[in-house]
Amino acid sequence: MSQTLSLSQTTLDAVDRFRARKVSVEVEARPLSAELPTPTSFNPAARKAYYFYLMAPAIALLAFISLYPFFWLIVMAFQKGDMGAVEWVGFKNFTDLASDGRFLSGWVLLFKYSAMCLFLQVGIGVLLAVIVNGSRYEKFLVTALLMPMMMAPAVAGLLWLFLYNGTFGWYHWIFQSLGILETGSILSSAKTSMYALVLVDVWQWTPLITLIALAGLKRVPRDQMEANMVDGASPARNFFAIVMPNLYPVLLIAVLLRFMDNFRFIDHILVLTGGGPANSTKILPIYLFEVAFKFFDLGRGAAIALVLLVVTIILGKILVGVFDRPTSGGR
Amino acid sequence: MATVTIRNVWKYYNQTPAVKDLNLTCPDGSFVSILGPSGCGKSSTMRMLAGLEHISAGDILFDDVRINDLAPKDRDVAMVFENYALYPHKTVFENIANPLRLRKASEATIKDRVNGAAKLLEISHLLDRRPSELSGGQKQRVAIGRAIVREPKLFLFDEPIAHLDAKLRAHMRGEIKHLQKTLGTTMIYVTHDQLEALSMADYIAVMHDGELQQWGTPSEIFNHPVNAWVAGFVGEPAMNFVTAEIRGGGDGVTLKHANFEIPLLASQVGKLNGAAQAGTARMGVRPDALTISMTRPDGPAITGVIFVNELLGGDMLVEVQLQDVRMRVKTSTDFAGKPGETCWLTVNREKWHVFDAGDGHAYF
Repeated sequence: MSQTLSLSQTTLDAVDRFRARKVSVEVEARPLSAELPTPTSFNPAARKAYYFYLMAPAIALLAFISLYPFFWLIVMAFQKGDMGAVEWVGFKNFTDLASDGRFLSGWVLLFKYSAMCLFLQVGIGVLLAVIVNGSRYEKFLVTALLMPMMMAPAVAGLLWLFLYNGTFGWYHWIFQSLGILETGSILSSAKTSMYALVLVDVWQWTPLITLIALAGLKRVPRDQMEANMVDGASPARNFFAIVMPNLYPVLLIAVLLRFMDNFRFIDHILVLTGGGPANSTKILPIYLFEVAFKFFDLGRGAAIALVLLVVTIILGKILVGVFDRPTSGGR
Repeated sequence: MATVTIRNVWKYYNQTPAVKDLNLTCPDGSFVSILGPSGCGKSSTMRMLAGLEHISAGDILFDDVRINDLAPKDRDVAMVFENYALYPHKTVFENIANPLRLRKASEATIKDRVNGAAKLLEISHLLDRRPSELSGGQKQRVAIGRAIVREPKLFLFDEPIAHLDAKLRAHMRGEIKHLQKTLGTTMIYVTHDQLEALSMADYIAVMHDGELQQWGTPSEIFNHPVNAWVAGFVGEPAMNFVTAEIRGGGDGVTLKHANFEIPLLASQVGKLNGAAQAGTARMGVRPDALTISMTRPDGPAITGVIFVNELLGGDMLVEVQLQDVRMRVKTSTDFAGKPGETCWLTVNREKWHVFDAGDGHAYF
């Protein structure tokens, strides 16, 4: 050997260790029927009982303030009379509703009101979300957009009462200047009052849809949009083919929330019109409020409330069924 | 089908250049592979070709028509994405039919072409399924089906088989190459896997740090790398590099290292361009250009100690410890040397390379 090899000691050690290593692989397969080892740790199922005791007071409180009244609502729906003497009338409260014109027109108005609100809120909400999404001022815009939502509905109603006011209201002035409104005020005309209520609801709750749609837009897969563009899609086509199918699941939640709110939130309507003029805005929840708390016909009120509840549940189920097609899943 | 010309193209992301002054001409009907590690700008190049990314400077031409400002839909290219990008809410049939539907093809044409593409890719039995019901290999076929269902000017494949398992990947390499030759459409195929590029492409563009390193046929890239970076990136197991001293001058130039002193072949001396004065150079030898023996050979040889033997199935890879580096040698499985024993490596000097010690460019 002409050259001396100066390998470091660590390298030589490593080589020694390598040589000393005995490579023997012993594979012992355990027969399937062999005794399994005894587990040394248990699943946390046993703890659940303990959690239940901790939660019991809260559950009892909730039961008292929500289940108990619900039970009484059902009982009341089969009774006639107010706080004092009551009389058991069976299904009379329900059968009477069939011939109650106000009840039926209340449904029609409720559907009209809710449909307009939902259509405008989803349309404008998604549009706003698309505009805001990816904007340089996104954070600021979202904060600004959310402000109406932070207002108590009754307060919003009062605010719009001023805006619609027939003597000094801003909107009153604008609509009159534009020639849309000829005489009278916005809220005292049966032609415009419903639209005025829809406008308030849209103003207050579109931001909710925007917020939810914005979250949905964030999870639209970019590569699918790009693939579709290379496939030959225009931006508009891309939006309806890729973005919308991905938005459906979140929009479903938004629509569900808003439609149920429309069926029960009447704060701003009570403040603005109270169902007038000439019953033109007397949607079913307003009528329910009137029957129960103005005429104190609690039995009939309870019956209306139950019907409203059942219809809400059925519509909710249908809505979920329509939107939750297997096509929009698949990931 | 089209000739694709990329002329002085730059891509900036804010202040960071991702592609620097790229010049390429992909001949009509050729299979071009853009090869490079992550972040070398190969995907940016592809996205600029597809129109998904703005071109910061320079021109891209399809058949001498500048397409810089065309929207993706007007460029007539078809792209296969790394993660397939299938439409989850559509069936396989509708996924493949999408480019035709967007171009308002008739229902009969759509049916005809989708079935044709499905048959070619052997996915006819999957047409009614949804992407969520497919395996990775099937998804990838659907993605390719979506690209070949119409006749675009250019195919863009962005690492389409990177997520498949090794066996399927080897299979798909052949399939894709065959497909391209059958269709005859220009294809640009982006990959970080040098084996894919070498085995499939007609031409390879090797990129590193946003710059084109070398353009050439797979054999040119493999046998005549222009610099040490290309030489080290292409080939598996990787090329061995040893820094050595250049000794002598005139006709008798040798590379001198603590473990060896090997003269250059007469034809190679001239290629040094007088770099003999520079002092040091980097010798590059592929593992299969070395022969290992346990007895001292006659010619000049490298002396070392066996560090470890790795059996690769049909071959054996031996790592040999030199004073400062380890070299890997490919040999046959009946090689009898044991770790710790002294051995000698003979270099096939027809196949070795010498690179500049500074900028790494190849002398030969």
